[in-house]
Amino acid sequence: MSENKKKILEMLAQNKISADDAYRLLSAVDSGEGGHGNARHENTGSKGPGEKVKARYLRVTVTPDEEGANKTEGSLFKDGKVGRVNVRVPMSLIRAGIKLKSLVPPEAMDKVNKALKEKGINFDVNSIKNEDIEELIDALGDMQIDVEGGRGEKVRVYVE
Amino acid sequence: MHIKIQNEERDFGFWLPLFLLIPLALVILIILSPLILIAILVTWPSGWGRYALLSLQAAIVSFWALRGLEVDVQGRREKVYISVV
Repeated sequence: MSENKKKILEMLAQNKISADDAYRLLSAVDSGEGGHGNARHENTGSKGPGEKVKARYLRVTVTPDEEGANKTEGSLFKDGKVGRVNVRVPMSLIRAGIKLKSLVPPEAMDKVNKALKEKGINFDVNSIKNEDIEELIDALGDMQIDVEGGRGEKVRVYVE
Repeated sequence: MHIKIQNEERDFGFWLPLFLLIPLALVILIILSPLILIAILVTWPSGWGRYALLSLQAAIVSFWALRGLEVDVQGRREKVYISVV
């Protein structure tokens, strides 16, 4: 444990700072430690306070309702429409895919922008820069989507 | 790359070593490179040559980025598994 962390914990024990302040300070100390902290968490797979696990894979899973699988009706698994799906996409592939944007001719980009505008989305696709992509992928580390369908199927999208 | 397809009729799976495909792909690329170069030069004034060059680069980058991809789809009677190690 670093000296800074010890000091923060001592201040918390002496009621000089609140738990929230201690949490913020610990997060700041951890982010200040840089790459070493990230590497540690990559190995253990656990998250510390305020730390992000570096996103390596995007995982999409679809699990049918286990109980519903025994029913004759109302189960997508039983109907054969949806089974178990487990897809792991490396972030490097997503990064490469997003960078394919540079292959899209400007005329096509204009059409995309126009179509987005028609849908009520006022966004210029040309404004996405490589730095933004990195930021976006880093931010994905916090993302977790859980959807439960009407027939009990569960869809999970998360980053690991 | 590991591909496995399983259903009621067949159970088929194989390992495809990508390191064996890379030299083959390189040979094909070297053989085709004069044609690719001519195509790029011919289409350069119209602006499409740049896209052809970028496409080539993107294809190579995407191929390298495939490592770690895993697709596992399981139905009631069939199963498809693709994994790039």
